[in-house]
Amino acid sequence: MTDTTATRIRPVVKKPVDWWRWAGRVFLTFLLLFTVLPMAWMILTSVKSQFAAMQYPPQWWPAEPTLNNYFKLLDPTQRIGQDFLRYFWNSFYVSLLTTILGVVVAVPAAYAFSRFRFPGRNFMFFAVLVRNMFPAVVFLMPLFLLMRWMGLVNTHGSLILTYLTFGLPLSIWLLKGFYDNIPIQLEQAARIDGATRLQAFLLIVMPLSTPGIIATSIFSFIGAWNEYVYAYTFLSRDDQMTLPVGIQRFFTEFATDWPGLMAATFLMSVPVVVMFLVLQKYFVRALTEGAVKH
Amino acid sequence: MAEVVLQNVIKTYGNLYAVNDVSLTVNDGEFIALVGPSGCGKTTTLNLIAGLLPMSGGDISIGNRIVNDLDPKDRDIAMVFQNYALYPNKTVYKNLAFPLQMRKLPKEEIDRKVQDAARLLDITHLLDRKPRELSGGQQQRVALGRALVRDPAVFLMDEPLSNLDAKLRVQMRSEIKRFHHNLNATVVYVTHDQLEAVTMADKMAVMSGGLLQQYDTPANVFANPVNTFVASFVGSPAMSLIPLEAVGNALRSPEGWELPLSQLNARKAANSTTNKIVLGARHSTLKLHKAATPGAVPGKVYTVEPTGDVTFAQVFINGAVVNISLEPTARIEPDEMVWVEFDQERMHLFDAETTMALKAI
Repeated sequence: MTDTTATRIRPVVKKPVDWWRWAGRVFLTFLLLFTVLPMAWMILTSVKSQFAAMQYPPQWWPAEPTLNNYFKLLDPTQRIGQDFLRYFWNSFYVSLLTTILGVVVAVPAAYAFSRFRFPGRNFMFFAVLVRNMFPAVVFLMPLFLLMRWMGLVNTHGSLILTYLTFGLPLSIWLLKGFYDNIPIQLEQAARIDGATRLQAFLLIVMPLSTPGIIATSIFSFIGAWNEYVYAYTFLSRDDQMTLPVGIQRFFTEFATDWPGLMAATFLMSVPVVVMFLVLQKYFVRALTEGAVKH
Repeated sequence: MAEVVLQNVIKTYGNLYAVNDVSLTVNDGEFIALVGPSGCGKTTTLNLIAGLLPMSGGDISIGNRIVNDLDPKDRDIAMVFQNYALYPNKTVYKNLAFPLQMRKLPKEEIDRKVQDAARLLDITHLLDRKPRELSGGQQQRVALGRALVRDPAVFLMDEPLSNLDAKLRVQMRSEIKRFHHNLNATVVYVTHDQLEAVTMADKMAVMSGGLLQQYDTPANVFANPVNTFVASFVGSPAMSLIPLEAVGNALRSPEGWELPLSQLNARKAANSTTNKIVLGARHSTLKLHKAATPGAVPGKVYTVEPTGDVTFAQVFINGAVVNISLEPTARIEPDEMVWVEFDQERMHLFDAETTMALKAI
């Protein structure tokens, strides 16, 4: 057996330059610089001394990099460290509870919307979205009055409740898409195999929707972690403040310590970035699930 | 093993009767097929037996126990689904073990039963795989395995072969038949493919529009269809049906010809509510002549389909398409005029008004 086609010399065709492709690349590079440079500058500034940060012309690369700012922020024996760590803990506590409660509510809600037919189902499903059709500030005063009436002002509960109203609609919609894609026969098989309805859900359906649950958790966590306006309005006591508000207060109080501020900002973004890197696999899967049939 | 009895079972969705007053008995160890076109209520009936849907009326009993209000898990049934419904995040072993774990069997017993089922279905080498790593036929076997591992009273199968390719389907068909033979299990099998029903089942229940049309052995359903629906549904190619008019002892066509009837058939035709009659005949009972023959009726050849061992001719008679099987050596051309002779012993007469088969009383 001889392969005649393999020995044939193929003429070299010079491809024309694909300008669209190059334009896209330039655009993406520009976009990348636009997003990465501020972050790079944040990190660079955070390892400078106060003096080096204020120099003009600016020191592009820190001459004497120092981690002092981080030590200061994370030192529980000093006032700054105590404050920062408390803000950090408050933010973490509020975001975590928002996330957990969000999952606890969104999972059954989405499952019900996906599986059951009940009166008012469509109305309720779209009503869930109404909250997201208006800018968040529109609800600032009504929610504040509501919280005061419930006696929740100056408690973390007020923030958790508020953040739930941000995160839940998206979580419910995303998870419903997930449950729609899980064949109902799996649950039926489980029920015939000896499971109750609840067991079929917990043992068969829940594990299959893990990517969706993780994705919605990331959404609610980040939403709660970054939120500023409501935290600023609902909380006035220093010991309850969350990071976004705390950092702002903190540094206007002590004049502007740019390296310290940058170090604090960097520390604030660490949990979110780490979470994203670890879980991004699920995140992408959740958002593209259902786009193509398996 | 147990018998399954449906008594006046009804399932409605609003004003729609998905299952309308169905009664049938599946004897212990019997293999029955629920067959009919899509939307006829066969899968709904199966789901009612399984307890996956609530009934609107009637009674279902499995093994002398009324199960109307029992959960699926308490009905002692196993089900094989069209899409197999294997748990995608579990290995084959865990898929098979799941029904046993749910029944809280000791670990050693679970392992023994899973291994036994795997050996029976020849899937021992697949136990560590996930369902998506298996071929369609292998998934099918795992689904069967998950059903039989528990030794249930009744097996329910919902079109288990329709996702397989044609060749595998024929192979799995005989395997399921063998499986029934070996276990002597009671099986309720849903299919839209009448050939599967005829080849596999001890009895077939033909359904249409939520109603049970006929419930009998495949041979009886084939030989004595109760109405035109069953006649045209069972058999491949289907029974040919020609609308005609009864005049005296003959059937007359608006095209001008008359087909004289035997005494018995004339008595049957006389029982029709109107003089409108549907004449039914299977392809193998018809004879084709190239020249005018006494007692034969004229028609025009539409197509000729050689299949190798039989050639099928489709002939237009009185506007209806009539299938006729011929010797493969037959020479016949489209648009040729032919004469078709009917077998008086094996022809079927239906009342055009009620669609029911006519009987000589």
